[in-house]
Amino acid sequence: MAEFTAAVYQNEFLPDGGTDVNAIVTVTCAGAGTAGQSGGGSAGEIIIVDTSGSMGPQTMAAAKQAAQAAIAEIVDGTWFAVVAGSDRAMLAYPQVSSGPGMIQADARTRQEASAAVGRFIGSGGTAISTWLDLAGTLFASVPEVTQRHAILLTDGENREQPGSLDEAIRRATGVFQCDCRGAGTDWQVEEIRRIAQALLGSVDIIPEPSQMQAQFQEMMRSSMARGVADAQLRVWTPQGAQVLFVRQVSPTVEDLTDRRVEVNPLTGSYPTGAWADESRDYHVAVRVAAKAIGQEQLAARVQLALGENVVTQALVKATWSNNSELTTRIDQQVAHYTGQTELASMIQEGLAAKASGDEATATTKLGRAVQLAAETGNDEATSKLKKVVDITDEREGTVRLKAAIAKADEMALDTASTKTTRIKK
Amino acid sequence: MTDAPHCPSCGAATAAGTLFCENCGFSLGAPPTGENPLPVSLQGAVAPDASTPIDDVAPISAATHATGGAVAPTAVPGRIPCRTCGGEVGPDGYCGQCGTKAPSERDHFREAPAPWVAGVCDRGIRHSRNEDAMALLASPTAGERAVLLVMDGVSNTDDSHIASLAGARAAVEVLRTPLPRGMGTPDSRIAAVTKVFTDAVSAANDAVVATAPDGTPSPPSATFVCVVVEGSTLSFANVGDSRAYWLPDGAPGVQLSVDDSVAQQMIAAGTPRHQAETSAQAHAITKWLGRDARDISPRVGELQVAGSGWVLVCSDGLWNYASEPEALAAQIRASGTTEPAALALALTDWANAQGGIDNITVTVARLDLPPAGQNAVPAAQGASDPNAETAAYPVVPQEETHG
Repeated sequence: MAEFTAAVYQNEFLPDGGTDVNAIVTVTCAGAGTAGQSGGGSAGEIIIVDTSGSMGPQTMAAAKQAAQAAIAEIVDGTWFAVVAGSDRAMLAYPQVSSGPGMIQADARTRQEASAAVGRFIGSGGTAISTWLDLAGTLFASVPEVTQRHAILLTDGENREQPGSLDEAIRRATGVFQCDCRGAGTDWQVEEIRRIAQALLGSVDIIPEPSQMQAQFQEMMRSSMARGVADAQLRVWTPQGAQVLFVRQVSPTVEDLTDRRVEVNPLTGSYPTGAWADESRDYHVAVRVAAKAIGQEQLAARVQLALGENVVTQALVKATWSNNSELTTRIDQQVAHYTGQTELASMIQEGLAAKASGDEATATTKLGRAVQLAAETGNDEATSKLKKVVDITDEREGTVRLKAAIAKADEMALDTASTKTTRIKK
Repeated sequence: MTDAPHCPSCGAATAAGTLFCENCGFSLGAPPTGENPLPVSLQGAVAPDASTPIDDVAPISAATHATGGAVAPTAVPGRIPCRTCGGEVGPDGYCGQCGTKAPSERDHFREAPAPWVAGVCDRGIRHSRNEDAMALLASPTAGERAVLLVMDGVSNTDDSHIASLAGARAAVEVLRTPLPRGMGTPDSRIAAVTKVFTDAVSAANDAVVATAPDGTPSPPSATFVCVVVEGSTLSFANVGDSRAYWLPDGAPGVQLSVDDSVAQQMIAAGTPRHQAETSAQAHAITKWLGRDARDISPRVGELQVAGSGWVLVCSDGLWNYASEPEALAAQIRASGTTEPAALALALTDWANAQGGIDNITVTVARLDLPPAGQNAVPAAQGASDPNAETAAYPVVPQEETHG
């Protein structure tokens, strides 16, 4: 049985008249087990592979291998399906015309699925909304599947009416989770990131076909290790208080503020998806009414809930003090993740400015990103930034855009922008 | 801080065992091994071992059955609703509505042994824990008999919060039976009452001492103040600077207790009260209970009262903000309530609103006696009328008559 714990990092002391409380809450899950084995419902996996005409022979061959590697990782008993996506979505496996659109994994079905993947032929366009919709329909065909996860691979830009992808994303939100991968450099990071963020998944670039198999294997393994099907972060705040934001800040920055679903007038629920044995950090900021010096009050109860069952809770407090030594201190964790969050937006905004030809803004933003990456010790971001800019002064954030930038490096910087590092607690 | 004996009237230092103050001639009460076992003054300190053998005999000296009622349980069943918004307090100790931290049961507790007697003992705002304690007894019949007892643990000592509560509970047990009447003469009456209070203080002291082992670097210590209401008679005793007041409706009130404090010594020496009580050493007490106490003899007194009014027994957490009887009476009027429980809470809230700089204990008893008439007992009988038949032992605090 999975066990959750929560710890809070904050400076609870506010100066006279202070109202804003910031805290990092670390939620840790242990003993998660294996997906679909907890008795609370079955796990389901759908592998969606781009089979549009843009997939070159080499990429297609690698994609087939990658999908087959992922299929091999599916644990016995897990319901699964394989979808081939082009300008429409096709159920490649199981080959049924009625009844459930998924099948339980065993040696035979895994082999049949691999064979079906081996028959993929690239043709047609790219209409990702149809892929998502088919995945949703397939999951819905097996009601006992409560933990729903998909892997989506594409190599190109979505070619649909504006808005149709967003509508499909909206339909899929809360129905299944989806990890997304882009092959090569002809796809749009921003587009695929929208899917991944809404569907509580990761996004990354696979620049070389040779790296595809390992990535797919890893994604499926991670998913199979998520023994806790679905959990929500709940944030209670006192009457009259305002939730400024709720963000996941580790392992990646995901702003959850707008994902709030009201539990009761004082409590909001935010989706966190499935959990493996892992630890995630959340940054919660709350504005409360100032109280008298010496008063203490609860600014937030941050809880993790499985269904209606609250499994762990951390208390975010506010104590008003006239001791400036206490009130001026900024919690190290809060400072670190505030920096990492800014780092993510500086990278994304800098690259967007560069794409639109605004080199001055791009230079300023990426310079600030270099500075933040150094300050917060995010070496991965620093090394990826170095492929896009020449650093004159890391501490000052003085940089020059490189004359020639590999598209893949720029996309890798973009997809990795939300990845954060941790500091010692 | 001094703990040498001093004259309660003028504050001058006195030699142990002397009967009268060398400075002003005030009677200091019986010496510990004096020839005369009966103190002549209610205001003088009586040594703990002053013996009044006659009072060991019932029924003159002590009742043989308890009439005081049970000590109200401190642990309030169920949590008190949030003090800020009235919301339900969660299992994590914070209000589920407004998030205010609910005090622990030691940090805020209430007692109301009968509808006419109530008390609130509260941490206040600035202190990290509640070292005040109280214990209350009351007969079900209003005005019949009540005991209001407050102890204030000294905050720079260890475990004072445990010591004060243990002391208050031990002392109130001694006061569960009616006070003795003595032989029917004023002297024997007061000697008997003094002995009972001395025993109560002694029991409190034993409990305080028992809290910490010998050799504790900073052993707990506490003040003591108690009023026993028996009909129209208020008997009281104190050690330290927790206070008792009689605050009649629509008439001037009196402070019954006299502080054992540097401020009181200054007042006795002529410093105006406000100046004395706001001086740097104002809160240094000159007597206390505890392992390092040298003199725990209480100052004992009695007052016959009439009409309607409030007995108020409190710690300095309240009187810091309203020391004069009139200032307290004004706050009682401002509260707009005649319900003891509501009044105790209102005064506590008011002290917190003033800053809550110390722990706050407010205990009150509502008395509705026949008004003072031809044949009735005059309220706040003055020392100028020592022969009044129905007010055999009138006592008025020193500063009221001499200050």
